[in-house]
Amino acid sequence: MLLLEGVTKRFGGLTAVRDVTLEVAPAELLGIIGPNGAGKTTLFNVIAGYYRPEEGRVLLEGRDVTGQPPYVICRLGLTRTFQIVKPFGNLSVVDNVMIGSLTRVTNMRAARVDAERVIETCGLGAYARMPAKALPIGLRKRLEVARALATRPRLLLLDEVMAGLNPSELAGMVELIRRLHADGLTLVVIEHIMAAMMRLAHRIVVLHHGELIAEGPPARIASDRRVIDAYLGEEFVLAPA
Amino acid sequence: MESLLARHWAALVIFGLAVLTPLFVRDAFFLDSLVLILLWGALSAAWNVASGYAGQVSLGHSAFFGIGAYAAALLATRWQQSPWLGMLVGVAVSLAAGALIGYLSNRLRGPYFALSTIAFSQVLLILASRWRGFTAGSEGIPVPFRPGFWTLGLGHVAWVYVALGLAVLYYLAQVYLERSRIGYRLAGVREDEDAAQALGIPSRRLKVFAITLSAAMTSVVGTLWAQYVGFVDPVYVFSVDLSIRFALNTIIGGMGTALGPFLGSILITTVETYLRATFSGVKTGFAGIYLILYGCILILVVRFVPEGLAGVAARLRARAARAHA
Repeated sequence: MLLLEGVTKRFGGLTAVRDVTLEVAPAELLGIIGPNGAGKTTLFNVIAGYYRPEEGRVLLEGRDVTGQPPYVICRLGLTRTFQIVKPFGNLSVVDNVMIGSLTRVTNMRAARVDAERVIETCGLGAYARMPAKALPIGLRKRLEVARALATRPRLLLLDEVMAGLNPSELAGMVELIRRLHADGLTLVVIEHIMAAMMRLAHRIVVLHHGELIAEGPPARIASDRRVIDAYLGEEFVLAPA
Repeated sequence: MESLLARHWAALVIFGLAVLTPLFVRDAFFLDSLVLILLWGALSAAWNVASGYAGQVSLGHSAFFGIGAYAAALLATRWQQSPWLGMLVGVAVSLAAGALIGYLSNRLRGPYFALSTIAFSQVLLILASRWRGFTAGSEGIPVPFRPGFWTLGLGHVAWVYVALGLAVLYYLAQVYLERSRIGYRLAGVREDEDAAQALGIPSRRLKVFAITLSAAMTSVVGTLWAQYVGFVDPVYVFSVDLSIRFALNTIIGGMGTALGPFLGSILITTVETYLRATFSGVKTGFAGIYLILYGCILILVVRFVPEGLAGVAARLRARAARAHA
């Protein structure tokens, strides 16, 4: 579905992402982990069209989208959320989502109906008329997801949508991601919360200093020596639920 | 229908009063003030399209005002053409200029964009002042008064209705921007351009669209203003003061609201006209006092009603709705 071929992104002398080759299969739920500054968000920025890579190609469903602007990539069915949430603060929650809907639905009334449906899916129904800036962080993260979903992506990049959530919000977000995935959405998820990641992801890749250092099913990643040294610090054991 | 009335009652009151006034009032000074209020309101509404709705805060909109004013004045004096034709030429030039500046400053955000627009208006100021053979330079151009609708040589009452027609048109254009697909997408660009792009919105193209539309709207009023006042000089029509005036009216009235520019214009134009009249003649030493008053009004608004006078109107409406419930 998504294929990265030898992607390298440099900022001046700093190589943020180095020669990353990665494939995401349709209906997969791929996790990306790594220490802060490993290049995870930079990789998202390259995939979603915010940065043009110095080397390598990005192929979406076989089509070369390297260097295409984000709005084109969104229309082709790939969009992302932002780690530092970017709500349209002065607009209501439903209007925020409706702006996403309007990319696929040109009729205003139909777009509003569509936005309200997405809001319900994401559990934001009770906050529809509230200005986005009045939402607490947990709900803002949900709004990020809702807005992205409204553009009807086939592949969605989630950048730390669980960070800063309390345990019940976290459970809700895991549940939402599971449901979206069950509905056939392909997901790539950046996350630091290993417990959630171990339960969610089919496969995890590990970035360190911009390079892919490991790849595999969650259980194998958790016991991989290089991953433990670079990131986890100690062997991660998933507590029995 | 009911909600339409509830949403636009203030505009209906304001424009309704403007329709009725000339039927009962014949005082030239009063009618003159009314024309100015409507023209300043329309200018601020035009500015609001780029700055309030699309978030492209411009401090160089006098450029488009000047283009409209000069287009009609030059066509009238050099080629004896109708100012209506001049208006079309002005719109055409402003569309091109708006698209150009929109395209060139596309990557600039916030204050950098505002600075680039100032520079643009100042380039035109220099051009108009120095190209003496064509524009008559800094002496300016007196626009001849030739009675008739085709030549825009109108009496005060007719001017009220011309200005009112335009004001209503601009009000409706803004309402459309609030309710249409393109308006929603522009709001997204204004609130957060990166997020808007992630949602499939071609933000750069939309910004150019908003600036170009706003430029054309400004140009039209520039033409009317030149015909109404009867004189065009570069130092005034391309001034930064003028650009700031568009911004000030709108900020005080409420940015990104259809009514705001008109509310701001009513307050500021009235205060200015009153003070000018009061402190003219022997007391000209006080003539600049309106600038101090502007400042005070701006501070008070930003401190107490940052969303502008239109925000107050919305608050009152909400309170009334609650009282009814």
